[in-house]
Amino acid sequence: MASSEDDPSEHHNAEILSIDAGGTMTDTFLMDSNGEFTVGKAKTTPDDESRGFIRSSQDALEDWDLSVEEGFPNLVSTVYSGTAMLNRLVERESEVDVGILITGGMEDTLRMGRGRQSYTGYSYSDRLHVNTHKHPEPLIPRNQIRGVRERIDVKGNTLVPLYEDDVREGVNDLLDQEVDHIVVMYLHSYKNGEHEHRTQEIAEEIIDERGMDTSVMLSSEYYPTLKESERLNTVTAEAFAAEPSRDQLTNIQESVDEQGGNVGVRVMASHGGTIDIHANELARTLISGPIGGMIGANYFGEKLGYENLVCTDIGGTSFDMGIIIDNDWQIDYSPEMARLLLSLPMVNMESVGAGTGSYVRVNPTFDKIELGPESAGDQVGVSAVETDVDTVTVTDCHVAMGWINPENFLGGDMPIDRDVAEQEITEQVAEPLGMGVYEAAQGVIDILESKLRNDLEAVVTGEGYAPSNFKCLSYGGGGPVHTAGYTKDLGFDEVLIPEWAAGFSAFGCGAADYEYRYDQTTSIDIDPDLSMEEAAATAGEELTEVWKNLERKVENEFENSNIGRSEIDFQYNILGQYQGQLNSIDIESPVARVDTPEKLERLIDTFEEEYRRTYSEEARSPELGHTVTQASVRGVRDVVKPEIPTEPTQGPEPPEDAFKETREAYWDGEWLETQIYDLHALQPGNELTGPAIMEGAATTYALPPDCETYLDEHRVHHLSRIE
Amino acid sequence: MPDSYPREHIEDLVDDNLEWSQLHNMMSDFKDADRFQQVRDVLQERVDWDDPIIIPYAEHLYVVAKSEDRWVIKCDCGHEFCEHDENWKADALINVRDSEEEYLEIYPEDMHPHPEYMELREFFCPGCKTLLEVTNVMPGYPLIHEFEPDIETFYNDWIDEPIPTPETA
Repeated sequence: MASSEDDPSEHHNAEILSIDAGGTMTDTFLMDSNGEFTVGKAKTTPDDESRGFIRSSQDALEDWDLSVEEGFPNLVSTVYSGTAMLNRLVERESEVDVGILITGGMEDTLRMGRGRQSYTGYSYSDRLHVNTHKHPEPLIPRNQIRGVRERIDVKGNTLVPLYEDDVREGVNDLLDQEVDHIVVMYLHSYKNGEHEHRTQEIAEEIIDERGMDTSVMLSSEYYPTLKESERLNTVTAEAFAAEPSRDQLTNIQESVDEQGGNVGVRVMASHGGTIDIHANELARTLISGPIGGMIGANYFGEKLGYENLVCTDIGGTSFDMGIIIDNDWQIDYSPEMARLLLSLPMVNMESVGAGTGSYVRVNPTFDKIELGPESAGDQVGVSAVETDVDTVTVTDCHVAMGWINPENFLGGDMPIDRDVAEQEITEQVAEPLGMGVYEAAQGVIDILESKLRNDLEAVVTGEGYAPSNFKCLSYGGGGPVHTAGYTKDLGFDEVLIPEWAAGFSAFGCGAADYEYRYDQTTSIDIDPDLSMEEAAATAGEELTEVWKNLERKVENEFENSNIGRSEIDFQYNILGQYQGQLNSIDIESPVARVDTPEKLERLIDTFEEEYRRTYSEEARSPELGHTVTQASVRGVRDVVKPEIPTEPTQGPEPPEDAFKETREAYWDGEWLETQIYDLHALQPGNELTGPAIMEGAATTYALPPDCETYLDEHRVHHLSRIE
Repeated sequence: MPDSYPREHIEDLVDDNLEWSQLHNMMSDFKDADRFQQVRDVLQERVDWDDPIIIPYAEHLYVVAKSEDRWVIKCDCGHEFCEHDENWKADALINVRDSEEEYLEIYPEDMHPHPEYMELREFFCPGCKTLLEVTNVMPGYPLIHEFEPDIETFYNDWIDEPIPTPETA
């Protein structure tokens, strides 16, 4: 799966298009029916994203000598992800005004937020120090929030009836302020939504009477989960940030249709699937992390038989890590975006602010090298002479050490000057520390890699797992140059580097299922003294009802895109715990209904098995009884996914045309003659021994002297250390 | 990180006029090498007297040099309290609120401490009558000497600069 060369005689049938509209550039990843891919770029056009989208697609299609009109009709899958929504949250600016009706006395919920929100999203040292903590600006100003007297308790009982006059007064007041959406969020409405529904009726009557087109959104409909702060943030984000994007997404769909495309545009969602642009819950397409890589890794693992993977992604600004166990990722139910805690299911990843673009500085107080947290991002470093970066970055150090070929950075698209790198490292780092320039550059790399190694080890062992049970998958443009360094001595079963590492996240977006997911907080107790028959008739019935309700929501979403029930694969999950515990574990249910003793028993057995695996046999306590704290339903419909290449293996000796040259490179304190290869010209079966450097179109794979690598039939490198 | 911020930026810092993002960046970054001297310059320019400020001591209060080896605590109105290593509160005007009636002058009903358990001491400058500090302590609690600056160590070991004197100012 190399980035295909320009060969006009070769016919390409563009099938999968995935687009990432970033803040400045819109990137396109295009894959044909043979699994070959190409990428395109164009400036993002914020006022009408569809123009940037078409230009970027055109740029990609041109590589295959196709026009948009020729290419689009063959598309079978189109996945879009943009940052416009997230930007509204980050900037706290939206085209729409939102008003809130909330349980009386709770009007300051947004302003008070959660303690964690005062530091979430900050760098490690800023999280540690209280003086850098600050609560973020609330999304909605206080004068657009109105209290309504009512109260429902944690079990769903009505303690105070809904004061309907309060609703009328609040709605009229918000309408006077000409809000576009009214969000209703009452305490414990996830348990009993009656008051919210009645509020909607009253509000809609008033809106009708006044001839306005304000919409009403209920927290019990959109995100019926525990924790009012997160729930309110999420419904508000839906109104404030996601709804305004609907028009943009519709424009994109229309421009696909106009160019002859016959495919529904889908959007990447935080739970790891893609959803239709007409989905009710659009806020879950607010994604702040690179989950595309996790989805790609899971698909990759399923296809090639790797069940347990530790995924590592190095980009310009961050190092992201995630764990896949038994071909499934973990879900974070309260992720942070734009410094707000939301109640959305999101593929769990840990992120640290260290990447190839991280700034390298000497701390004047302690005379030691520090990295980041700021970075030059896609501006690379001081050696990228066309940018205006002043501070040395990690990449500059690699340039000085001869690991990165100045002529071949991003395939030669970005001019790099090695002399500038050496001069700036000398001035900014080496001289203040009284070191030689290469010694200093090596020191920087060592510090970064040992930091990454520590973080990676913490993520794996911190969860109670042993690295030896995992294969470490390394991708991202900056990954393969550091892989050998940050995996050293961690004891992973294997270290894998797909040749298409640089495009792996986009590959992952293309590999995402068409999937809706709905969650609901529950408090269903299965008491220990009940017989299985009694439990099935009570708790089992209750959970079954919740699942059925969520199932209907998933069905409704698919109906928006004319997909019938028969085409949907349902999957049922719970969060379960022993009664009285604080934390729950995520269980995929083996059955779709638990209203009979046999089925309920299978669910409980699965819980027990999972609990044993997570915490050990001794920790099991079934005598306490069980509680189901959340029920979820996932609905998946098959889509066309990118092919992973399979090629016949050749001998261990690389073909002649893969060898480019030999060059001196600095490895651990000495200059060594290093073989340079073309990453994409190597053949399956080839074996290389370090020191060697493999240069690709958008990435460089570095093989230190004590390492060797083997390219398998799927164009995946297996890195190992020479004993 | 700049080695030095522009003068206007430091003035905004002193006046608390920076945006949160600017302030946050300053706190997160390595400290600019000349921050102390810049802040000292801004403060010195704003007082009406000529004694060189050695360090800012508290709100409105400074330690200033009267001679090469005599440093006193001085208010920005010009009133001089005491030697730099003595407790200026002993020379302040003190108002003690230790009755229901006095508490109710500044607190809503039922929202103040019980006078038998807590008294409020308000310290004023005898020169300009500015409220300089408030402490809330048990009746009978001594006047705590909160801050005794080690000026020699600060100048010689921390910032490596000569201690200002009336001659150098």
